[in-house]
Amino acid sequence: MNSLDPRVNRLSGHTYLSSGEPKAPLDQFGTFEVFVQPKEDKPFQHEGIVHAPNLEMAFVLAKEAFTRRFLCISLYVVETSNVYASPMVEGDGNAYQRIEEVVEEPGEKESYELYHLTKRGKQHVHVGTNEARSPKEAMSRAKQKFNSGKGICNVWVIRTRDIRFTLPDERELWNTLPEKKFRDASDYKGGDKLKAFLGTNNQTPNTS
Amino acid sequence: MYGGGNTFEGLKTESVAQEDQAKLGEFEDRIAKGEKIEPSDWMPQLYRKQLIRMIEQHAHSEIIGALPEGTWITRAPGFKRKMALMAKVQDEVGHAQLLYSAAETLGKPREQMIEDLINGKSKYSNVFNYPTFTWADCCFISWLVDAGAIVNQLANAKGSYGPYCRALDRICAEESFHLKYGHHCVIYLATGSSKQREMFQEAINRWWPPMMHFFGPADKISTHTHVLMKWKVKMGTNDDMRNQFLDMYVPKVWELGFTLPDPNLAKNSETGRWEYTEPDWEEFKRVINGDGPCNKERLEVRRIAEERGRWVREALKSPKAAYITPLA
Repeated sequence: MNSLDPRVNRLSGHTYLSSGEPKAPLDQFGTFEVFVQPKEDKPFQHEGIVHAPNLEMAFVLAKEAFTRRFLCISLYVVETSNVYASPMVEGDGNAYQRIEEVVEEPGEKESYELYHLTKRGKQHVHVGTNEARSPKEAMSRAKQKFNSGKGICNVWVIRTRDIRFTLPDERELWNTLPEKKFRDASDYKGGDKLKAFLGTNNQTPNTS
Repeated sequence: MYGGGNTFEGLKTESVAQEDQAKLGEFEDRIAKGEKIEPSDWMPQLYRKQLIRMIEQHAHSEIIGALPEGTWITRAPGFKRKMALMAKVQDEVGHAQLLYSAAETLGKPREQMIEDLINGKSKYSNVFNYPTFTWADCCFISWLVDAGAIVNQLANAKGSYGPYCRALDRICAEESFHLKYGHHCVIYLATGSSKQREMFQEAINRWWPPMMHFFGPADKISTHTHVLMKWKVKMGTNDDMRNQFLDMYVPKVWELGFTLPDPNLAKNSETGRWEYTEPDWEEFKRVINGDGPCNKERLEVRRIAEERGRWVREALKSPKAAYITPLA
């Protein structure tokens, strides 16, 4: 390669160039769903996914991918396969109507987190916690507890135990967010310089 | 950053007539009502394929688009510019991750997309196949190429596919800083020494042809295009996007006292549309098919990064983790 960037030229001729060995097909990592809490009085909201080899790495990567720029005080991650989703219904429908009643079975109850999607195209938002013996039961119980009767397109249930939460001392991770003004549009004011320039030059737009 | 231009040609797919007409009716009603489509909904093959292709190309453009700017981080003038450019390049790579995730919900795994980029099967925005010779070239990208991308992205954010809209909302919010930063850099060059002004004028002269290519050739309006517009996959013609860009940014370039290298560029006051010399679409085709100044280098850098990262992926690999399609 003959690049303008000397660092790119230094890569050439290196062993990386000719390993020749084909990549193992689809050796990719599993996916993890990411939830962010922007402020103390706001609920956690689904933001997207990361690919990671395990929950811990998913947490680290989620922090980079989703909380670099906007408000965040806490985030958590869960493996995609640990999210139980209801059927998706129309925008004015209610997904709870499609959830069947579950007959209670004996066994230990556990805690489950519930999420609603109130509008197609928006994000799933945390609505509360519930005790149940299975995700199915948690969803069925939520029907009485969280069903407001308004538009709910989709419901998610996650067993609390499967979530990797932010630990108390990790909350410091976001303490410096407001200081990083260099990535904030409001820190780039060129207006005065531009006005002064236009004033002294008094140029008419070049329409040639 | 994204040039939507070349994405709507030559897609071979099942005819819409072969789809389940009852389901197709429900699907079209939903879109007509302004509702978004979510991954678990039924959708026609053409919709799925076209979106995968479009979102995937957008993701590749973000990843490759980080390269011509990334090369200037160490040489950006001043500490603050270095920090800002680093944050911008990190954003672009982050945008690629968001977009790959959105495309994945349609059933194409991320690994496959990255593979297709490296082996040349998938395309990315043509504009990144040109080199950034000077700091002024880098400023041109930060301001005007990003501005073009934002025109496309704001339009696509009103599309019908939920996961793509969510990704684009986030991307557009982050890019507002890119645009302000880019304009700030250009104002400094424009109000600086005569050498600085000359540098930016030269950058404009170099980048104007690829910038006009950025939105793609005029669409051949076929039934295919009509269907995609009805389904809110394609949100406007390439010419509409180009016109919107010219309307917003040509006056700003002229305001700074620079010229644009096209004697025919002018707004027709009757039609309200911009007129210009027809861009060289032969060059566009040639470059997009691999014969541009930087095509080889861009893909090679990407491939080397993949190779260099291999040991990390190996070390982290978890034999228990099984890949499944993400939910949203």
